[in-house]
Amino acid sequence: MLLTSVLLILQETLEAALLISMLAVVALHAGRRLLWLPWGLVAGGVLALVYAANMQQISEWFDYIGQELTNALLQLSITLVLVPLAWMLGRGLTAAAAAAPRPGAAALSGYGLLCALAVMLAVTREGAEILVFLGGFLGQGEQTQAVLVGSGIGFGIGVSVGLLLFSALLPLQGARGRWVPVILLALVGGNMLSQAALQLIQADWLQSGPALWDSSVWLPEHSVAGRLLYALAGYESSPTATQAVCYLAGALAILSATLAGRRVS
Amino acid sequence: MVCTGRRNSPPGLLRGLALAPTLAATSLLAATPVVEIEIRDHLFFPPEIEVPADTKVKLIVKNLDPTPEEFESYELNREKVISGNSQTVIFIGPLPPGEYPFFGEFNPKTAQGKVLVK
Repeated sequence: MLLTSVLLILQETLEAALLISMLAVVALHAGRRLLWLPWGLVAGGVLALVYAANMQQISEWFDYIGQELTNALLQLSITLVLVPLAWMLGRGLTAAAAAAPRPGAAALSGYGLLCALAVMLAVTREGAEILVFLGGFLGQGEQTQAVLVGSGIGFGIGVSVGLLLFSALLPLQGARGRWVPVILLALVGGNMLSQAALQLIQADWLQSGPALWDSSVWLPEHSVAGRLLYALAGYESSPTATQAVCYLAGALAILSATLAGRRVS
Repeated sequence: MVCTGRRNSPPGLLRGLALAPTLAATSLLAATPVVEIEIRDHLFFPPEIEVPADTKVKLIVKNLDPTPEEFESYELNREKVISGNSQTVIFIGPLPPGEYPFFGEFNPKTAQGKVLVK
């Protein structure tokens, strides 16, 4: 149970931790503060608690596909939040803005609100699964200790990898360096839209098709590299065409919004 | 459990489906075969299910344990939490013939299963 807890909590923590790191880096690059972060974490934690506590009822909605619809909505919303955020980032990527970054006074205005929303949505989905797991196995006698220790380790590793990404991205300066976290955010946006499509396929609301390719022999999804790539950029070894189209659409929407914002300023 | 309910199925396929013990009854009008799996004591019953190739299948997963479980499969691209003492629906396929392992992410050592697509 120890290893199970480590892997499970790590997997759920990682995706949110990486997204938060990217958002924090682009915020700091734009000369903003991180006041939105605790708001997003708290709101996400509360919503995750509500989602987990009502998981069974929500799952039964629409003839047992409520969970898919809720997850798809959360993931689609992340992409939709990242698009206007990317537009604002684009404005901050110009040389003039970089030379004289605006102070963080308006941190909880539009920009901060969008960052807080993205964090909230990510934490809600990943947090709910963690809470369902903990709620189910924490009261199981001798397993409790293994679950607690394992979860602590998994959470710790997830947060550490997030901090590692943060410290790797933060020093990247200059016009080129600042594009790196933006491109990573575009991959997250594509990944979220692709995952939303997968949820709708699982719910039979979207048609499934044959897998476009199968790279499970070279890079299995359950390998360490596969899991990390999944959390970072949504790696899947056998995606369908619908998922691939959604991935490209989400990533391109965010990149286009960044370029459009850049042109405006 | 018996299988019925595929419209315009080739006779051979229909016979094959009828032989599969895990296929549950559906309405005569439904085009999607239904397969039932149970989770008991962190194990899948039956551990192997057989489904027809190139056909969408509706899995009904009943969790008879008091603890939650997460149905997960990298090969099927599926992931879903199932609360304790509850059931859920997961659509899979259409799939080419092959073996598609699945497992319970909350109890991966014991909860292992396989979808055999033929």
